[in-house]
Amino acid sequence: MSARVTVALRVNGRAYERVVESRRLLVDFLRHELQLHGTHVGCEQGVCGACTVLLDGEPVKSCLMLAPQAHGHSITTVEGLAGRGELHAVQQAFRDAHALQCGYCTPGFLLAAVALADHGVALEGAALREELAGNLCRCTGYQNIVEAIERYLRQAAGGRRDG
Amino acid sequence: MKPAPLEYLAAATAEEALAALARFDGNARLLAGGQSLVPLLSMRLLRPTAVIDINGIRGLDRIAAGDGVVRIGALARYSALQASAVIRERVPLLAKAVPFVGDRQIRNRGTLGGALCHADPAGEMALCAVTLVARLRIVGRAGRRELDAEAFFQGPYTTALEPTEMLEAVEFPDGAGAEAVVVEHARRHGDFAVVSVAATGLPAPDGSWRWIRIGLGAVADRARYARRASEGLAGTRLQPADVEAAAARCLEDAEPAADVRASAEYRRHLLPILVERALGELARRRR
Ligand SMILES: Cc1cc2nc3c(=O)[nH]c(=O)nc-3n(C[C@H](O)[C@H](O)[C@H](O)COP(=O)(O)OP(=O)(O)OC[C@H]3O[C@@H](n4cnc5c(N)ncnc54)[C@H](O)[C@@H]3O)c2cc1C
Ligand code: FES
Ligand code: FES
Repeated sequence: MSARVTVALRVNGRAYERVVESRRLLVDFLRHELQLHGTHVGCEQGVCGACTVLLDGEPVKSCLMLAPQAHGHSITTVEGLAGRGELHAVQQAFRDAHALQCGYCTPGFLLAAVALADHGVALEGAALREELAGNLCRCTGYQNIVEAIERYLRQAAGGRRDG
Repeated sequence: MKPAPLEYLAAATAEEALAALARFDGNARLLAGGQSLVPLLSMRLLRPTAVIDINGIRGLDRIAAGDGVVRIGALARYSALQASAVIRERVPLLAKAVPFVGDRQIRNRGTLGGALCHADPAGEMALCAVTLVARLRIVGRAGRRELDAEAFFQGPYTTALEPTEMLEAVEFPDGAGAEAVVVEHARRHGDFAVVSVAATGLPAPDGSWRWIRIGLGAVADRARYARRASEGLAGTRLQPADVEAAAARCLEDAEPAADVRASAEYRRHLLPILVERALGELARRRR
């Protein structure tokens, strides 16, 4: 117990260990200690979803966790999605459907979508919008985001049936 | 918007958490889901010396039914409540209320115990606890005590918990067979309620209701059980005249305040409308 603590965790499959101030927010830990700048900071009060990451596979807002809370856990950020030189299927779907403008909200939406696919959820329309209510976008009006994620979820469900 | 310096301690057991609370003598806060506490830290509305993380305490999230109650550990997360068949079947009001809380990410972290201890007058969990007369099991270094939800909530963001105590579990009466409805008016979906109404009851074979309980959210300094309205509905068939009388009684129990979300007058306007809507839907459930 102290004002500084050791945080050892896995991010995108890779192990990291850092000694940080206890008050460090997880989002700032990812951006400043690990130099993973893909996770964005919007409101810093849990409303906008720009900072969404996966904690042990579940979407959470990384501005609402202290970094020490992630000790021993596994985090996925947007940097963990694309393979070498190749977009992840959800990223390709966003590109195809023109689902981003400034891109600030995009990493959060991508991770929320990946969690749905990982859980085998293939939602559309109002039910999908309900699931995405924790992610705000100020640019697109959501239509294309919802279309991109519908496409991606259908594709992911199809892949599971085939494979 | 960053928290002030603080110490962080991960408690592995309830005893460890209580010992740490005692050591910091009221200047430490338990950290459960963090979905209310972390924003308060970031805004520096709270500056505790230490936070004591209770997420690692084994079994504190257990959900179990027995002896006529459903006992839910303080650390049970909203998403676990949503996924639980026991909750759906035996505490249907809670199952109906959870989807109104925040969004997926918030529900993946936020806990029942954290929500009750935060005691937001618009909180859905407090509304359910008061409506169903839940029993709150509290531990302190001196031992355990139990309080009814109505005695636990003392005002906005204020509870009967001592700063060195911890909420351990919440017991809801087993409501197998009951019907439940939650209606809410919010400025945006997922936002905190402007007014919320919970209604739950047990249908009798003859078409009447054995009992009905109505709870009112965000129309007083804490969630309210509408006792007179509820008692007046026991044995009725929820005919239009019964419903109208209940709505009028609920309005008498309301003492709404004005805040950023709505004026007191608007809340008074909404309340009977939402009570009638909730009871109307409850009545339709059994047809
Ligand atoms: C964007 C957003 C939207 C939200 N929308 C809603 C909504 O619509 N409705 C709603 O009701 N809530 C809403 N919330 C709040 C949410 O429900 C919180 O999860 C809840 O209020 C607190 O639960 P927690 O587990 O996160 O507690 P924490 O934030 O960890 O703790 C809250 C308080 O309770 C204390 N505490 C926690 N656990 C215990 C315990 N076991 N014993 C003693 N003290 C304890 C803490 O010390 C702290 O003071 C929202 C939050 C956000 C960020
Ligand atoms: S920055 Fe975390 S929700 Fe907005
Ligand atoms: S693309 Fe700009 S905020 Fe969503």
